[in-house]
Amino acid sequence: MSEITITIDGREIKTEEGELILNAARANDIFIPAICYLTRCSPTLACRICLVEADGKQVYACNSKSKDGMQITTSTETIEAERRAIMEVYDVNHPLECGVCDQSGECELQNYTLEVGIDAQSYAIKDTFKPVQNWGLINYDPALCIMCERCTTVCKDMIGDGALSTKPRNGDTIDETFKESMPKDAYAMWNKLNKSLIQPNAGDTLDCTDCGECTAVCPVGALVSSDFQYTSNAWELSQVPATCSHCSAGCQIQYDVKHATIDNPEPKIYRVKNEWNYVSLCGAGRYGYDFENRVEAKDEAAFANAIEAFEKADTITFDSQITNEEALILQKLKESRGYRLINDEARKFAEFMKAYSAISGTATYKTPLKAVNGANFVISVGSSIKTDNPNARFAMNNAMIMNKGAALYFHPVADPVVDDMGKNILSVNHAPMQEEAVMYLILDLFSKKEALPADVAEYLTSFHSMKTITVTETIKEKVVEIVKEMKVNEETGEEEEVEVEKSKMVPKKVDKDVEVDENRLLEIVNAPKTFETAMEKMLAKKDRFALMVGPDFYSHPNAANLARLVALVEKYTDFSVTMIPEKGNTLGVAMICDLDTEAGSSTIGYNVKGDFTLSATGNGDLDMPAMNQQEGTLTSIQLRVNPTNAALGYKGYELNDIANALGLNAKLTVDYTVKLGEIDGFKSENFDDLPNHYTNKGEEMRGYELTVNEVVTSGDESVAPFDEAAAMDEAMVYRGNPTLQFNDFTNKSHQLNETAALYVSSDYAIANELSEGDTVLVETTKGSMEFNVKIDSKIGGDIPFVPSFDSNLNSEALFNDYRFSNATIKKV
Amino acid sequence: MEVAYIIETLIKIVVILLVFSALAGFGTYFERKILAFMQRRLGPMHVGPFGLLQIAADGIKLFTKEDIVPTNAVGPIFKIAPVITAATAFMAAAAIPFLPQFTIFGYTVHPIVADVNIGILYILGVMAVGFYGPLLGSLASSNKFALISAARAASVFISYEVVTGLSLLAPLMMVGSFSLIDFNNYQAGGIGDWIIWSQPVAFVLFWIAAFAETGRTPFHLVANDHEIIDGFGTEYSGMRWGLFFIGEYANMFFISFVIVLLFLGGFGDGSVLGALGFLLKMSFFFFFFLWTRAAWPDIRPDQLMWLCWKVLMPLAVINVVVTGFVMMF
Amino acid sequence: MMSLKEFENRNVSEGAYYKVDIPDYPETGWEKAKQVFSRAIKGELFVGLYIVMREMIKFDIHTVQYPKEKLPIGPRYRAVHEMQRLWESGTERCIGCGLCEKICISDCIRMDTKIDEQSRKQVTEYTINLGRCIFCGYCAEVCPELAIVHGGRYENTSEQRAHYIGYEDMLTPFDMAVKGQVAEYPGFGAITPHEDERVKSTPLAY
Repeated sequence: MSEITITIDGREIKTEEGELILNAARANDIFIPAICYLTRCSPTLACRICLVEADGKQVYACNSKSKDGMQITTSTETIEAERRAIMEVYDVNHPLECGVCDQSGECELQNYTLEVGIDAQSYAIKDTFKPVQNWGLINYDPALCIMCERCTTVCKDMIGDGALSTKPRNGDTIDETFKESMPKDAYAMWNKLNKSLIQPNAGDTLDCTDCGECTAVCPVGALVSSDFQYTSNAWELSQVPATCSHCSAGCQIQYDVKHATIDNPEPKIYRVKNEWNYVSLCGAGRYGYDFENRVEAKDEAAFANAIEAFEKADTITFDSQITNEEALILQKLKESRGYRLINDEARKFAEFMKAYSAISGTATYKTPLKAVNGANFVISVGSSIKTDNPNARFAMNNAMIMNKGAALYFHPVADPVVDDMGKNILSVNHAPMQEEAVMYLILDLFSKKEALPADVAEYLTSFHSMKTITVTETIKEKVVEIVKEMKVNEETGEEEEVEVEKSKMVPKKVDKDVEVDENRLLEIVNAPKTFETAMEKMLAKKDRFALMVGPDFYSHPNAANLARLVALVEKYTDFSVTMIPEKGNTLGVAMICDLDTEAGSSTIGYNVKGDFTLSATGNGDLDMPAMNQQEGTLTSIQLRVNPTNAALGYKGYELNDIANALGLNAKLTVDYTVKLGEIDGFKSENFDDLPNHYTNKGEEMRGYELTVNEVVTSGDESVAPFDEAAAMDEAMVYRGNPTLQFNDFTNKSHQLNETAALYVSSDYAIANELSEGDTVLVETTKGSMEFNVKIDSKIGGDIPFVPSFDSNLNSEALFNDYRFSNATIKKV
Repeated sequence: MEVAYIIETLIKIVVILLVFSALAGFGTYFERKILAFMQRRLGPMHVGPFGLLQIAADGIKLFTKEDIVPTNAVGPIFKIAPVITAATAFMAAAAIPFLPQFTIFGYTVHPIVADVNIGILYILGVMAVGFYGPLLGSLASSNKFALISAARAASVFISYEVVTGLSLLAPLMMVGSFSLIDFNNYQAGGIGDWIIWSQPVAFVLFWIAAFAETGRTPFHLVANDHEIIDGFGTEYSGMRWGLFFIGEYANMFFISFVIVLLFLGGFGDGSVLGALGFLLKMSFFFFFFLWTRAAWPDIRPDQLMWLCWKVLMPLAVINVVVTGFVMMF
Repeated sequence: MMSLKEFENRNVSEGAYYKVDIPDYPETGWEKAKQVFSRAIKGELFVGLYIVMREMIKFDIHTVQYPKEKLPIGPRYRAVHEMQRLWESGTERCIGCGLCEKICISDCIRMDTKIDEQSRKQVTEYTINLGRCIFCGYCAEVCPELAIVHGGRYENTSEQRAHYIGYEDMLTPFDMAVKGQVAEYPGFGAITPHEDERVKSTPLAY
């Protein structure tokens, strides 16, 4: 991409060749009105208000690319007339309920109506009856909807659910006279608007992953959170910029806070908002916000007990839902008092990265997740992607749609959500313990064989054989015919007769003998028969490759070998590698803490059960602040250190108080932010200096980026062969969470609260004669546990999910470290 | 005789105390009503018919209010000061004949406690002592407004004692006695004998000085509400404040009696008509105190001093000299 | 009759002020003496005495015996708020838009809202802290539904600050509203008489 100069309203600006005019203008603080366009998504052309004049021609700024030397005028008389007519049309029959509308002034329809200066209405049409609909977490008021289709666009282009589409409105046709009297674009836009409404694809209610992004992008009050609706005006809420801590994506969020009720002046979080042009939230981030640990006062007795327990203990166990600062406090406590730090999940991730760095030469993985958004061929391995890191799924989907990309999804559990993302994604459900085979396959498919280490190349060749087979091919012959048909002209709204060339494919069967190269790896990973032909299509015109590695790998018994394979893929193919840390701050903890393997005799648990438990969920021996009551930083999958602020007050003790009592000295927890600079990769930045916002260009001004440090490699690039026999093929369970759930905190939120169950696909339920609510006993080599059965439409295949979001269940006890475990499931 | 005299005197003392204490109360009622009427208001209306029981209500209030002695006040002096005001006012009443002598059940009653031959001197002296009430009370209050009040009280009272004394010199020269009974008898011949005709300047001077002695508008600066709150009364509450109040109103009555006795013929020949006239004349002067309060503004302390020393005192001296010359030739 | 024109002239310095003829203060002793004499001879003191005496004799009393008799209150007087209901149904006019809460300069209005069964915004609690209210009338002026107006009830003493709230006290009694016994838009905050002229017409297709 080369830098070019274009002129907008007499101002010369620099942009890149092919950048949309609208985005170029926005990046340079030039205002072009636009309603339906969403940054990072494809232009919808529904509103047509972004009309500009480029080199004397009227074009839409949201879908015209800029060319060198382009002369652009954002406002002419005809354009103003169009805009005025468009806004008048939008106001036709729009209910005058701004007083109670949840948008409460943050309404783009209202803004543009005032911007354009609508003071009279020239158009009219009979209104239709459109009752309010409840779609679970979301309410839809079709009367308020202006059919900008931002919701359907974001759902398809960004989220990948494609759960919304348009349906006929069944209204009157527009009065003939308007066709003559009103501006052309406005009429075309009205014509389209007048024909459709939004509906969920599943019928009356939404069948999706409940991310709620459609409510975030809705410019009017048509799509709103049903929990938030009518509880507060936007201007009453104060905004607290923060970072979502539920998963490793580290999304930018904003807590909207207000007093709880008239009688209760305590602050309460009313909703979570995001900078939807640049960040997309999942449902857990959007709806799982009220997990605060309300503590009335400092419990001095419990604190004294805690200090006593710390004096006595030799081990601190904790999980990765903590800030970098807290991790640093724990590390400092280890240094000064010799505690052993136990966090298996983060330790395994650290070990995985270490094994990876032995070949790659970098301390961590190098590529942030946003590289996936820019790629056009994405592979995901070892991750139940929609629940491990929803943003990784959004990125994969976004890459496929916006870059005309394709994707491969390797995971033992079939995932209908991933399969529904389009026809350019191919799922391969390999057997558990065959992840190495997948990595070998990727090497085999994408590496330059001659560059590979000789033993690896040789090993790969051993899977290939030549074979002659007779195939019955279906050849399609193209037949072209001309037919006449009635078609509705979009611009005029009239039906007219058009001659259409129709090409038909006529199938023809041919038998053929072909000599093919048979790749046994495909069979081992259980790839579909059509894999090779599909790949051929998918790989066409692809030049930017991205690989995402998931948490299945880190806990894998052969994790070290897998890590080396990942490094080889990065080194000898065009793939960039992004690793998905399992929990909110796994990457930070893995980098900051020097973690131990063996626990001692007396343990302190921080958000984990121990002999003395510090808990932010409120069920431990000493209360700790939850993430929305804390200041601090979190390390995200984007290789970024993001600041988060306290939305709610906390009156009890925090980890820093304990650390101070034990000899450390810091007034605030965030005093440790600057000391993070002692750790390789982090910087010495004061917490208060860390920004948390996006610029008009879309630059992420949040915290700072980690430095990826070089490490010395030995040059040894050997990898072990895999054990085909290790494949697990009996009945088993998978340690994974349903959508919207990550941990105790999401589950504590009132909108997401649910009882953990055994999540099974409907196919599995039918095959095993289970129905919703049945109690089953799950028995593994490690133990047994009873669960209720819940049928989850977002799971496919025959591997049930044992959730880990409810720590009271302690379901992790059923598993060895690996996320899959053989199990017998019996109905009780 | 001796015992009867003592009993009679005791009864007179009790009657005077009771009557004038009550009159002080009624005085406030009249003042409030008259001021109200003059200002197109109604005044007290709600306690009793036409607000008549307002006095009782105020009395109950004053008696039952908490008696507060401020922390930094000089306790004993603070407590005794109101008593000085009230006591001196009533002591002055001892030498005033309130009515002509009359006979009841064959017993001749002299409605005067003690007809001393230096009555006027006694009254002026005791009334002058009365200023120690406001002065000591103010100084003991530990209050800046009270302190200003004390300074004003001292200057006003001392200044106007001079005018009072000098203005009375001329009539005294004419009558040749300090007894108020003698004064009355001097003028007993009828309206033509009234000293006011022979001593109009002395009358006016004494009258003006009376306003200063009683601290009434337009010379109300000792306790001027809009400048220094209640002056010496600022820190007082309950009945202690009430004693100041009673003292002030009793003084107004007594000085009205004195003016009438000195210049307007008193009770004349001692007939019933004379007695009634006496009370009427006295009432006019009391009413005049209220009337001026409704009509006139207060003047500044410096103007008061200016008036006293540069106008009234020279006039009084000239009056004495002129009277002397007239009597000599 | 006063016309609107007189109010529209906001230039108060024009013709609204006149100078009072007060002579300068005397400076020399002679001037002061002259002032004293002139005032004494003019008998100003007696004029004052005359006037008050005259008024006393005329006995033209202007006192209003307040608790027993009350002066009439102007229709736009701004006393304790009243929450209006609709005549036809008796439902509260308030839609819970929160503009009064926003505009209140003494920050004494608060409301809790939620979504009700008919998917409409419902006000669950509404309070005005009358102990803090300065009766400026902004809430009534901003109310788009004419739901909150100022009434004439100005007697609101209480022993407890907590008494200075209470939606029920302000709300028009249900029976009166349904019978139509409440004036539709009384009080401060009512629409202006020429409101119709300001509204532009909107075409209707049916």
